[in-house]
Amino acid sequence: MARLLIVDDERDIRYLYAAELEDEGYEVETAGNGADAAELLKHHSFDLVVLDIQMKGESGLQLLQKIVKERTDLPVILCTAFSCYKEDFSSWLADGYVVKSSDLTELKNEVARVLKKKHH
Amino acid sequence: MLSGCCWNKEAINADECRLLRPGDEELLFNRKKRFLSRCVECPCFIEDLRQRNDECDGLPGLFSYTIEELLAQRTEIRSLTSQAQSRNREIRFFHEVGQVLQTSVDIDEVISMALTAITSGKGFGLNRAILLLVDKERQHLKGHIAVGPRSREEAGRIWHEIEEHDYSLNDMGQIFFKKKMPAEKEKFRDLLEILSVPMSRNEHLFITTLNEQKTRHIKNLYQVPGIDLWQAENLGGGELLMVPLISKNRRIGLLLADNIINGRPITAEDVQSIETFSLPVSFAIERAGLYERLQEELAKVTAANIQLREQQELILRMEKMALVGKIASNIAHTIRNPLTIIGGFARNLMKNTPQEDAKHSYIESIVRETRRLEEVLEEVLSYSESLHPTFDWWDVNHLITAVFAGLRDDLQMSHISCRFNLEPNLPKAKLDYKKISYCLRSLATNAIEAMSDGGQIQIQSALCDNEIHITLTDTGPGMNAETIRAVTTPFFSTKESGSGLGLPLCARILEEHGTTLDIVSTEGQGTTFTIRLNISREDEHGPTIDR
Repeated sequence: MARLLIVDDERDIRYLYAAELEDEGYEVETAGNGADAAELLKHHSFDLVVLDIQMKGESGLQLLQKIVKERTDLPVILCTAFSCYKEDFSSWLADGYVVKSSDLTELKNEVARVLKKKHH
Repeated sequence: MLSGCCWNKEAINADECRLLRPGDEELLFNRKKRFLSRCVECPCFIEDLRQRNDECDGLPGLFSYTIEELLAQRTEIRSLTSQAQSRNREIRFFHEVGQVLQTSVDIDEVISMALTAITSGKGFGLNRAILLLVDKERQHLKGHIAVGPRSREEAGRIWHEIEEHDYSLNDMGQIFFKKKMPAEKEKFRDLLEILSVPMSRNEHLFITTLNEQKTRHIKNLYQVPGIDLWQAENLGGGELLMVPLISKNRRIGLLLADNIINGRPITAEDVQSIETFSLPVSFAIERAGLYERLQEELAKVTAANIQLREQQELILRMEKMALVGKIASNIAHTIRNPLTIIGGFARNLMKNTPQEDAKHSYIESIVRETRRLEEVLEEVLSYSESLHPTFDWWDVNHLITAVFAGLRDDLQMSHISCRFNLEPNLPKAKLDYKKISYCLRSLATNAIEAMSDGGQIQIQSALCDNEIHITLTDTGPGMNAETIRAVTTPFFSTKESGSGLGLPLCARILEEHGTTLDIVSTEGQGTTFTIRLNISREDEHGPTIDR
């Protein structure tokens, strides 16, 4: 069973994503900020990180850089409220992108795609 | 002993004197006038006089001296009159030509007038004039234009045409300037090319003449040193007048003139007149040349100003749009998150609520209405995104200058000098200004960091076929082949600081622009980065943003 880490500073988003992704059969952990996420990454193994770009404190992109540097094999999907994130060049390091929506089909598809790619 | 001559008769009949001409009727009855104008030149009278020398006390002998002197003075007066007439003509001619030379600032008009004056019968009447001008960089004495017929047939035709129309000198100059100049340049193109000489050839006859600032009248071109044989051959090898054109000690050019068609010898008067004429011509050519350069510069400045204004407006628009983008992003964040949560949980609830449950339809309403709100939000955001004009036609040189202006302090602090070699008047390239600026800045920063002990960066822009090449060369330590391959991989960095993202992102940006980052490097010598930008307007590809 694939283990996912959801990082988002909005509590309800974390709950929603966790509920929906668990329904899909994934094992889900959540973190509300970059520091907590880094801590979890240090001590647990994950197959994928779902990362919010715009967070209070350390931004998702800063965390992304750290992850890519230290854990090159760990895929990351960026979640954002606004598709303009592509203007920021450092977002290109991610493996997938999802614009937030109440319909989580896109997120689920993206998670499945990236995990499948990872295992190939 | 009376001869058959009529000098001693008071009145004569017309058939008695062989020297009378039509219109000389008065002389038939006026002995004094007849004697002074005709008899003193008449061989019969002179013979009579000679025979009388032997008589008496030799008084007639003295008389013959007087006559000799009279004739000599008469010849001199004739020659002076003709000289005066020719001077008079010259003054009128100078006046006519001078007006054009003094007022025109069009170099071609000045040259047309000057050369017409030299070659037309109403001017100095030489067959051919060739003008060589010193080029702007003062490297070459270049054949500029030649005027005159190339063959006897052409000469006959031209002279006949001029005779028929009775043009004034000014008319001829204007006709030449407005109608004939390009054809004339073309006609003598081969000769003009043959006569061009580098200014460094100090031993060459043309350059010597120009440097010594002295007119030369050559009788036989084959017999003077310093001219290439094929040049002499192409000039006809005969007589040639060479007048240096000097304005305030500056060498403007060289004027060659000859009578290649009719072979009339060039007289001392011709030489003197053309030499005098060359002064206002030199001045006028120089002035017109300066004026032309001034106009060119003015046009450049005007064009640069227009371009600058356009770019400023674009940048301003971009900044405004960036602000719109920021606002949109904030709105998106504050609205999208709650919408996601409301709609997301509603969907989750709906999944777990049986269809027949009354709540199911309520939840469905929430889901539907959230979806509608999300669609409205999407529309607003995509509109604000579409306002971003970053991918547009931009002036590459302007972009380079702007990027390096922003790096000035870094460059100074690192003791790095910059040499720009930007090709002027490049066409615009379609690019994302922000991204290519970022790219160039990364390459420059990379170079700066590679040259910790100072060095030089050379930036070049050039047009190569359908591409603009931006080349950045540093004098840093260089890279080996393995490093070159690795530098575009994220987080590969040979530097202790830095994100290691610069070059990988450059590669990505250029990929978006449909091109690649070329790196050539020699260890110990430096690295050259080349960006090739397509400028072909048929292939108006947009950025490949979506992945």
